[in-house]
Amino acid sequence: MSSNWAAEAAAVFAKDWRCELRTRHAVATLALFAVTTLVVASLVLGPVGNEPARAAQIVPVLVWLILLFAAASGLPRAFVHEEESRTAIALRLAGRPSAVFAGKLAHVVTLVAALEAIVAPLAVVLFDLRVADGFAFAAALGAGGLAIAAATTLLPAIVAQGRGASTLFAVIALPVLLPALALAVAASRAALVGIAGGDELTLLLLYDGAVVVAGFLLFPAIWNP
Amino acid sequence: MTPAELEFAGLCRRFGRLRVLVDAGGAVASGGVLSVRGPNGCGKSTLLRCLAGLLSADKGTIRARIDGRELDGDERRARVGYLAPDVAFYDELSGHENLAFVARLRGIAPERGELLAERLGLPGERAWHAMSSGMRQRLRWAFALLDEPKLLLLDEPFQNLDAAGEAASRALLEERLAAGALAVVASPSHVDLPRVTGELQLGG
Amino acid sequence: MAAVIWAAFHWAPLAAGFKGESSRILFFHVPMAWVSFVAFMTAGVQSARYLFGSRTPQDAQLDRSAAAAVEIGLVFATLATVTGAIWARIMWGSYWNWDPRQSGIVVVLLYYAAYEALRQAIADEEVRARLSAAYGVLGLVVSPFLYFVLPRLGFSLHPEPVINAQGKMEVEARMLTVLLASSSGFTVLFYWMHSLRCRLGAIAARRLEEEN
Repeated sequence: MSSNWAAEAAAVFAKDWRCELRTRHAVATLALFAVTTLVVASLVLGPVGNEPARAAQIVPVLVWLILLFAAASGLPRAFVHEEESRTAIALRLAGRPSAVFAGKLAHVVTLVAALEAIVAPLAVVLFDLRVADGFAFAAALGAGGLAIAAATTLLPAIVAQGRGASTLFAVIALPVLLPALALAVAASRAALVGIAGGDELTLLLLYDGAVVVAGFLLFPAIWNP
Repeated sequence: MTPAELEFAGLCRRFGRLRVLVDAGGAVASGGVLSVRGPNGCGKSTLLRCLAGLLSADKGTIRARIDGRELDGDERRARVGYLAPDVAFYDELSGHENLAFVARLRGIAPERGELLAERLGLPGERAWHAMSSGMRQRLRWAFALLDEPKLLLLDEPFQNLDAAGEAASRALLEERLAAGALAVVASPSHVDLPRVTGELQLGG
Repeated sequence: MAAVIWAAFHWAPLAAGFKGESSRILFFHVPMAWVSFVAFMTAGVQSARYLFGSRTPQDAQLDRSAAAAVEIGLVFATLATVTGAIWARIMWGSYWNWDPRQSGIVVVLLYYAAYEALRQAIADEEVRARLSAAYGVLGLVVSPFLYFVLPRLGFSLHPEPVINAQGKMEVEARMLTVLLASSSGFTVLFYWMHSLRCRLGAIAARRLEEEN
């Protein structure tokens, strides 16, 4: 076998996107869920952005919850589908585990980024938000998004080989994501209002890094007997 | 021609309370075929999965050597040509695309996939979900042979194939064996196998 | 342990600023929370040894050890939460305040309850051991975060940790003695329970082997 690691990871990434674009399953699920919920919320809450204090209380939590649930419903497919449709067998035989993980993670990260690219501007518009520190806000979105991506890539790999994968995923993902989300909400809130959220952001990035590194270390053992 | 050897001994595998493999052993070398026979549920598929590295055995040893050098578990997994009824490919991708994906993972030229597909009479443009069971079996053959492996593990390889498909795959198998590959083949007793050098009877 | 229990009630003085006898609960609550952390770290280490060590027949033992540690850890964490809630009720009038430390331990409970759920969902022994070990190792990352980092953010009703920012001992000598004694007592208790549980698991596994 003479493939190089990056080419393998790129192949997995390309294959996942090619399949995704032909079915548009994940994108549709994510977008539908997120947009619908946002619109409903904005209908009920109105342009909260006019009262910055109140907006800072409500909107970050709302946005992150929406991102979380959209991701949890649309993304575990990455590995669960491979196992259920048995394509995982060929993948195990042909690909190096770390490259498979890297490719899948990259795919999920881009999906989450695409989701956030829809949700964040929409939220700003629908709620008439005033964002004090746009850069910090984007950073919070990025860091929190990475946490969601890492969890929804690694954890389904664990549950995919058990029974009742989807429900089990929800049970397992929650404790892992809660700390990340709490930090992401805090950092987003700070960015909206304009106070310093550096601590939360740093901790979030540290958590992200730790989970991603753990993912790379653990995945070969999860994937192969 | 690089010689290859595969030997295994004392393999045991249990699923909960059910003992599927009990002390299974055998050996096969370049150019030879180990024929694994037995009734349904006797563990033929389990044995092949263990040999391929897809399943761990509870007990026992598996040794694979290529050119005198022993392969570890990960290497063995990467170098086998595995064919089994439950191997599936991506619904939305065509035969050629599926093979090209595997080729990219393995670092070989994608043309190899197209050549094999042609020899097997597989219509490469059709998506997996639209393939008949016979076509799917041909794609499984192409997958197994793609990297010109020295270790072939074939579980019911001629299942679902029509006369033409079977002839094509048998010809390819012969070619591989002549080139120094070895094969462990599990199939029902009425199926005729070439170059059989050993037989393993599983189950009571 | 018996000495600790006696000392907790009679020997150590009452902490200043705590209502009535309620500070006594500290001698149990804090060590229990600490031991649950030790338990989960043990589980993580055993899980790592299972996953990354060379595969030998000792493996199954490591898997049993990790699972046992999680079980006992859950017991201690639950007890810690309950004692904490009781104390909260006495001190501030309600069982739950969403204090970051309280929330932290709840998420820990959820994490390891999920570990148990994962084990239940997988029938095959080898797959079960491997996947729960992976989750256990992930716990090595998540747990310290939940136990130590998260509670430090934001306002907490919890009293200052024993060793505060200046590194000085803020706690009265006697209280400290009892606290440390209690912690060591509970830790020993944990290891004792753990070895018992592992032995039970080994016997059960051997029974299963013989039956087949």
